[in-house]
Amino acid sequence: MNALLLSAVLGVVMMFSGIWLKSKSAIRNVAIVGMALLLVVNILEMSGMIFFRIDTKGMIVFDRFALLFDSIAFLSTLLYLFLSAQDIEKVGINYADYFALIFFILCGITLTSSFKSLLILFLGVEIISIPLYILTGSDKRNLKSNEASLKYFLLGSFSTGLMLMGIALIYGDKGSFDTNSINLITETPSALIVAGMLLLLFSMAFKVSAAPFHFWAPDVYDGAPTVFTSFMATIVKAAVFIAFIRLFEEAFGNLQNKWQLLMAIITVATLFIGNITAVFQQSVKRMLAYSSIAQAGFMMLSVYAMNAEAKEGLLLYSAAYSFATIGIFAVLIKMKDYTFDGFNGFAKHQPLLAATTTIFLLSLAGIPLTAGFLAKFYMLKAALGTGKYLWLVIFAVIMAAVSVYYYFRVIQAMYFKEGDPPVLQITPVFKWTLVILAALVILLGIFPNLLLTWYYF
Amino acid sequence: MNITQIIFWILSVVALFSALMVITARNPVYSVLWLIATFFSISGHYILLNAQFLAIVNIIVYAGAIMVLFLFVIMLMNLNKESEPRKHRLLKLAGAVSGGSLLLVLVAALRDTDLKHEHALVNEGNIGLIQNLGKELFSTYTVPFEISSVLFLSAMVGAVVIGKKE
Repeated sequence: MNALLLSAVLGVVMMFSGIWLKSKSAIRNVAIVGMALLLVVNILEMSGMIFFRIDTKGMIVFDRFALLFDSIAFLSTLLYLFLSAQDIEKVGINYADYFALIFFILCGITLTSSFKSLLILFLGVEIISIPLYILTGSDKRNLKSNEASLKYFLLGSFSTGLMLMGIALIYGDKGSFDTNSINLITETPSALIVAGMLLLLFSMAFKVSAAPFHFWAPDVYDGAPTVFTSFMATIVKAAVFIAFIRLFEEAFGNLQNKWQLLMAIITVATLFIGNITAVFQQSVKRMLAYSSIAQAGFMMLSVYAMNAEAKEGLLLYSAAYSFATIGIFAVLIKMKDYTFDGFNGFAKHQPLLAATTTIFLLSLAGIPLTAGFLAKFYMLKAALGTGKYLWLVIFAVIMAAVSVYYYFRVIQAMYFKEGDPPVLQITPVFKWTLVILAALVILLGIFPNLLLTWYYF
Repeated sequence: MNITQIIFWILSVVALFSALMVITARNPVYSVLWLIATFFSISGHYILLNAQFLAIVNIIVYAGAIMVLFLFVIMLMNLNKESEPRKHRLLKLAGAVSGGSLLLVLVAALRDTDLKHEHALVNEGNIGLIQNLGKELFSTYTVPFEISSVLFLSAMVGAVVIGKKE
């Protein structure tokens, strides 16, 4: 509850800071201090200090799962702001408003991670989506950004329509938005519930860019300003996955035999399309867009498996994936040339940046001693735990091997090719934050319990 | 068959027919006009369910405000003629296949479900009256109601960010 209220208030504070503060660095500092405050307040709530007690009639419940994910999301956003807040300046003139929108998105994230009522789920998903449409189109002079924004808006509102239709059907049957009362056991579920569940499944699959609802993702991630792609491909995507797993565990857990096969098919399709198309990309930004679809396929495994390990694994995965991808995007923003060739000879001129980027790429590929390896391991373990569909696990491992190819292409270009890539100015803060991120990735890869103990005490 | 049932059937036929016309009409202006007819017949359904406030709001907001916006957009984009671009035959086929797959998944999932015949509350229950709606909104649903302000605020900020001249 602390984070929910504070993030909304901070959004308003950022709007006013745009009027009163003239210098951009002051606005940036307000945003970073606010973000740090948000993280601290959320961690305080985890240790039992709740500042606001509001009777939500059981619609929002901040349990450990929700609070721990919120902390991961806030920490990632804080690191993201340290790395890329300066680059947001170049997008347009409404510098403070971009931060305000980011805080509003975080408000939506606290909702989607803690909802107990479909109404709150809808509000949360919309509060996340609408600012994202704007941020995607914020580079107004760039036609690609405009196209991405319009496409995202049209397809996104269509999928929101599907979600509303699903919620309406479920309400029509049960007369309640509450996830627990939807989950009451019935011998044969009614047609309305099943149709509603499927529509919710489709719309959530759209929001996490799972195949075959992924078509918007590459264009939108490619067209949006790179600073905002970094935010929406990581933190936001993980947040929607948290909502996805919560929804299907709490509202449709008893219908698992109905949707499990469908979820397995979606997982396979997402893994296949994401990994295979990423292989053929020439631009690193577009490769990362497809790689985010591929990573979504791995995260789908947790929704498919839906057991205790899956929830732990999803938390670890969202942390590992967010940290690594934010780091890579932050480096990418500093490049002038987004193609693979643009990275030629990067290691000679920027050894520190190249080394950290390598760690992030290794983590995304799932090489041991990085967080990405353990995250993938937890996912596969959870999928094995269901005792069904062994082919799904085997397929996922093969696809993880495919992903090594396109991640290593970047490493190859950085270390084994000659060239002099033009790089924008790099500040010491940027370098240190990258080192911290890389350290976090390795630390989580060796001691995942640093994160997961928070889930239990 | 009493009068309520007769009205129900007439309204349902009108709603379905005009909804079909919305998507089949070639001229966008006709589409919009049929959409208004759909909204009116749905409002009729709301009145049958004793939800007068919802019926009036539906007409004011959708048939009134949103339709005007639609017409403005059509006017500004000069779409008032049959200017539908010709679609490729393969594209149409792909659309039919994907729509068909959606239908298939839905039908497959609905195959062994329970098609209960539950009756709607017609002309009774006063949950749709404005007094009860207000009480619900400000007692049970206070928190979602307040949270939706964040949604509207972010939409407003977005409109300014997109619309402001640089």
